[in-house]
Amino acid sequence: MALITVRFYSLWRSRLGTDSATLQADNIDDALAQLEEKFGSRLREKLETAGIHLDGKIQDYSLILLNGIALRNLKSAELKEADVLHIFPPAIGG
Amino acid sequence: MESSIADKDIIRCVVESAEPWLAPDGKRLSVINLKTAASIANSQGISAKEVEITALKQGIIPRRYLRNIGTIGLDGQIKLLQTIVAVVGAGGLGGTIIELLARQGVGHLIIIDNDCFTERDLNRQIMSTEENLGEYKVTVAAKRVGEINSAITVTTFRERLTRENAQRLFGSAQVVADGLDNLPSRLAVEQACRQLTIPYVYASIAGFGGQLMTIFPEDEGLSSIYGSSNAIPEQGIEIKIGNPPATPAIIAALQVQEVVKIITGVGKPARNQILLVDARECAIDRIELRR
Repeated sequence: MALITVRFYSLWRSRLGTDSATLQADNIDDALAQLEEKFGSRLREKLETAGIHLDGKIQDYSLILLNGIALRNLKSAELKEADVLHIFPPAIGG
Repeated sequence: MESSIADKDIIRCVVESAEPWLAPDGKRLSVINLKTAASIANSQGISAKEVEITALKQGIIPRRYLRNIGTIGLDGQIKLLQTIVAVVGAGGLGGTIIELLARQGVGHLIIIDNDCFTERDLNRQIMSTEENLGEYKVTVAAKRVGEINSAITVTTFRERLTRENAQRLFGSAQVVADGLDNLPSRLAVEQACRQLTIPYVYASIAGFGGQLMTIFPEDEGLSSIYGSSNAIPEQGIEIKIGNPPATPAIIAALQVQEVVKIITGVGKPARNQILLVDARECAIDRIELRR
């Protein structure tokens, strides 16, 4: 079990009203499950009040990096002490 | 190499036309104004851009660049005038990028866009007006550049950028700036820039926020945030929260600074990091990216 930090950015930070949280997790899946449990419904509710409806889990509509590496590029799902998860919404407009 | 007689004539004309200028800090400078530069270009049969470059090489500053020189120097301005920058997309980000690069004095702009202005663009696309709705963005942008800085060469392509045509459209561009609104096109730009071994200034926006990264050919680039799988989103949160007017202006301005830094060598480009700007919270965050 590792103590990791989750850092929220952009719209997620302003809607959740916090820039970070800590989690005790074994691996990425465990961390994402806790993230959804602790912040998923709160984020969706906050967004809903602003007229923004999002379906699915927090991980489904976020870009997530572990220590600066996109989750999709990770070679190992294991977490170690002091790891940092960065999470923010994809902004793709121009 | 020895200057030719013609070159010496141009230098002589420029030097003889220079005027003294007392800078706010008391420094005595030599400057040349727009009309004089145009007149020399006309009489010598060369472009206004060549006159400006010749002047700068003699330490004479075209008045229009007086406020540029303190940050980038004479050499920086010369490099900008000698550089070709491609701007893909002439809408929200792209319009402001083009406007600022013209004012900065980048010598040649390649502008790529296949769209016309619509009413939906009026809130944020700096080059759109009620008058020019329905006109091609590249046509309007080229006209605007000519009005701002007639010394600049403009090449326009009224085409949608694809993986197949990207390298041809970029031609001999030395930097590409991103004014796109979807991820597949950005991936096509990134691929073409790698093949051409030129840097790409990526940015995108949504709501009060945006993100930016300067990608050199050897950098990990877009896959460092979107991952290397095929399951990448085509569009993001902007389809829910829109694009208000200030956001593209903020992010495009940062992109222009990146382009200027790359060309002049002044400062440090935002490589291997994602810059996250959130105007709602007055926050700029930087995440260092790793492979």
